[in-house]
Amino acid sequence: MSTKRTPRTDKELWRSLAPDGDTAPAAVSDLDFAAWLDGRLPEAAAAPVEAAVAADPGLRRAGLELADVLGKPLPAAPDRLAVRAQALVGFEAERQIPGGSGFLGRLFSSGTRYALQRAAMAGMAIVIAGSGFVVGGGLGESFAQERYGTTVGATSTTTTSNEFSEFFASDGI
Amino acid sequence: MTELNQTDLRVLTTGDKRAWDTFVTAAAPLINAVVRRTLSSYRLGEDDVLDAAQDVFVRLCAQDFRLLKTYDPARAGLGTWLAVVARSAAVDHFRRRRQATQPLDEVPESVLGVEDKHVEKLKIPQGLLTDRQTLILKCLYDEERDVAEVALLLKIDAQTVRSTHHKALLRLRAHFGEEPA
Repeated sequence: MSTKRTPRTDKELWRSLAPDGDTAPAAVSDLDFAAWLDGRLPEAAAAPVEAAVAADPGLRRAGLELADVLGKPLPAAPDRLAVRAQALVGFEAERQIPGGSGFLGRLFSSGTRYALQRAAMAGMAIVIAGSGFVVGGGLGESFAQERYGTTVGATSTTTTSNEFSEFFASDGI
Repeated sequence: MTELNQTDLRVLTTGDKRAWDTFVTAAAPLINAVVRRTLSSYRLGEDDVLDAAQDVFVRLCAQDFRLLKTYDPARAGLGTWLAVVARSAAVDHFRRRRQATQPLDEVPESVLGVEDKHVEKLKIPQGLLTDRQTLILKCLYDEERDVAEVALLLKIDAQTVRSTHHKALLRLRAHFGEEPA
């Protein structure tokens, strides 16, 4: 019977050994890791990153996965993904406008989009308010109410109550 | 990827809407691919992929583009850096999403895999192998990757991986008095 030990395969030998794991892996920044993945680091700068990647299984898997993704043609992303991401940064008109936070400041600030539309809206609002004021009797009505307030009020109340009485009386109620 | 590397970061970090939209269009395929790949082993749904991808973009533009401003084009490609950021965001998303009472069947085997600590192993003395040799052996035997994948990771050719592996094994066998198989 032979006492000679069967030689182990490379894998068996490696699995029977424990790499020196007393030292904790050094932290690697995202930018250093990316530079290492790009192969841009000189040998001296790459060595600590390689030591960290060798010591940390998570970092090792990250490296292998990212190298694989970056080395292949990329499939198109779902439309929803881009639409949602684009909405994260707002339109210029929605941002705070420098040089005047009030209504007039916003309306007349230069370099603002939609200034014409805003001015048109404000003009229309003024016209509508003015028309309403004129239709409602204008200042003349206000002065009359101020001077003859009690009499006019009493008269109109009486007139109104008479109209109601006539209306109901005609229906036989 | 070419479009992505042509991004004008100075304009982008001012919050210009048009620059942001162009950047998102260029970066979305990469971020989608990285997030999808990272979350694939956790069996999360399409909504989680979209949410994790959205997290990446939120990180990039949050606090007046603080993260994006830390990127240095002289040190790494924008695509590679974004891929690293996207992977990290996807892992964080999974950690937040993971429920305390997750059914055992839903946990990937790689997460549950535990090394048998009872086997006494011979220690490899410090300095016997270089960091690169250790990394190559770990990728080949612990991660069970093939030579081409390791070559892609290290940006070297496959023959260099093979020769580095061979030299490392010779050193180990010489040190521990092992004969080649």
